[in-house]
Amino acid sequence: MLDVIFLLLSSFAIGGALGMVLFHQPVHSALSLILCIIALSGLFALLSASFLFMVQIIVYAGAIITLLIFIIMFLNVKEANLPKEPHKNITLFLGALGLIPLNILILRAFYKLPSSFLEKNDNFGDIKPLGMELFEHWLLPFELISILLLVALIGAVVFGRKEEA
Amino acid sequence: MIAGSLFSYIVVAMLLLSIGLLGVISRKNIFVIYMSIELMLNAINLIFIALGRHHHSMSGHIMAMMVIAIAAAEAAVFLSLIVVLYRRKKSLDSDIFRTLAQKESL
Repeated sequence: MLDVIFLLLSSFAIGGALGMVLFHQPVHSALSLILCIIALSGLFALLSASFLFMVQIIVYAGAIITLLIFIIMFLNVKEANLPKEPHKNITLFLGALGLIPLNILILRAFYKLPSSFLEKNDNFGDIKPLGMELFEHWLLPFELISILLLVALIGAVVFGRKEEA
Repeated sequence: MIAGSLFSYIVVAMLLLSIGLLGVISRKNIFVIYMSIELMLNAINLIFIALGRHHHSMSGHIMAMMVIAIAAAEAAVFLSLIVVLYRRKKSLDSDIFRTLAQKESL
């Protein structure tokens, strides 16, 4: 049963990713990226990361991709503004051939690892052990992330301002 | 048991990472390049969470959460940059955004 769910979710994820790369219109690409991200959140749930499952749906599908689609609609892109890509299929094919050695290298390295998962506790992946781990061992990176978000906010406001002459 | 082994998750994550890298190196539409970067970050998240489940430690989850926060920050800056560039050049072709690289293309 879990195998069937895993195969379905991973095929949706890979199909969405392929659609994102292959579609010509950016709106179609963004919609298939949403499909891919929701299937990935299902994979997170299969790995018993229930908190990250919710974070993935809320932050990625709810905020980031929605912002992206909003920007695409706000710019009102016409067909003439899109770049012409006459050799798109050939470059994609050649790029895929070039990426095969990297995949073989990494998959061989992971193939040597013991493959089955350890037994898990009842509350593995819940919000409470995640918070305990975060505030016991990862406090400084957590605070630095907040500074990074502040800097990104200021940067977005500065870039988005109307330019004075 | 496919869903219980680490290797199947790594295969899915590596396929997604390769598709994202392919989108960055062979497409010209700047929105597709941005979405490919997001896809690569998601594939890395999947590797982190699978390894955290494999070692039964929560550190992988923490790293995945930080990657999500960095992706949110990147989204804000990248999309406002796209808006500024589109206002100036009226195109989404990443080949013409090279004013920082060459003087004569100004």
